[in-house]
Amino acid sequence: MSTVWANGLSVHVEQLAPAADLGASGAAPAAVLVHGMATDTLASWYLTLAHPLATAGFRVVMYDLRGHGHTQRPAEGYALDDFVDDLAALLAALDVTGPIHLLGNSFGGTIACGYAVRHPERVVAIAAIESAPPTAEWFTRVAAQLDLAATYLPRAHALAEIRAERGELASRRARTARDVLATTSLVRDLPASRLPSEERIAALGCPTLWVYGGDSPMVELAHEVGRLLPRARIVTVPGQRHSLLVDKPDTVRSIVLPWLRQVGEGRAGHPVAGPPPREGRDEPSAPATAH
Amino acid sequence: MPVDRAAILAEIAGILHAIRGDAGIDGEITMATRFQDDLELESIDIVSLAGRLQGRYGDAVNFAQLVAGLDLDSLRQLRVGQLVEHIAAALEEAETSTEPADASRGTAGTPA
Repeated sequence: MSTVWANGLSVHVEQLAPAADLGASGAAPAAVLVHGMATDTLASWYLTLAHPLATAGFRVVMYDLRGHGHTQRPAEGYALDDFVDDLAALLAALDVTGPIHLLGNSFGGTIACGYAVRHPERVVAIAAIESAPPTAEWFTRVAAQLDLAATYLPRAHALAEIRAERGELASRRARTARDVLATTSLVRDLPASRLPSEERIAALGCPTLWVYGGDSPMVELAHEVGRLLPRARIVTVPGQRHSLLVDKPDTVRSIVLPWLRQVGEGRAGHPVAGPPPREGRDEPSAPATAH
Repeated sequence: MPVDRAAILAEIAGILHAIRGDAGIDGEITMATRFQDDLELESIDIVSLAGRLQGRYGDAVNFAQLVAGLDLDSLRQLRVGQLVEHIAAALEEAETSTEPADASRGTAGTPA
């Protein structure tokens, strides 16, 4: 486990080296993987897409967000801008200075978008799983979820109920979430985040991919994506829920990796190793269906 | 010389006890013990285990590669014995090979 000092915090980072040296084309493209809020850690990426991305030729960077996993948990500073500042500082600390591919799970995709709005010149592409751009509608839902969790989890029998219903691991994740919410200003800060204007989100020039579980409430936000980013690729996986990435890593991989290859081939100077794509360039945002 | 699987098992057991710390582990860790269903190891603990194994055995042992192909259920049921075999096979291969590890296999997914 390696720890990096960034934006005043000790941050837990895991990195994987790319499979093959890309030779004359210069340094390998970087993929930075951002996890979700409260119950999530970098492990969701480490155990699913991290290795396949390294095999595909990416330098892979994963980190635990502030307050999460093995990264420090300060009492304050949990607005969108804080998470974006952390990411920018981490990239500088790791000397990742070139263009980056951002992958985000759940709120991690929102942080990726927030970063891209503020540093558009750095971002080659965004692939988001069960996520949404930083819009008012999404933040209203985030606030409701956080309120619910912050009210329910501290109750006397909450963890026992979760254990009976969903097992010991779910109960332990819930305890972690309860502690994060009880000891930090996250519940207060995140809903009060300064959001980028819709014009700035719509001005994002990089290709974006949005993958949803068909049975997850998040899929209702796909219309926001289509409205603001009409060139986005949107894919829905039927029968899946919010935990799509950890439940069906093979499916997510089969959607994300070919898409990244297409992006790589459309961008001179940032080739991605792998066979040629079977289909054309990025498609318009008519919701597609996989599997 | 064959790799000592019992020694690898003892090494893994030691790391697991260190990771769980005060939370502790009930009972003996054997080849049949499952990381999640029996030990109830959280996914972030599995990442810690991978890092410590890399530190102990070097780049020849690639835990990320072992787990990358598994879906949630397979990961849940992954047994200590499977990891012992994975490590033993990697060490045996490294021992018999006189060539330096080739780029297509040797560096993929190793910590940068």
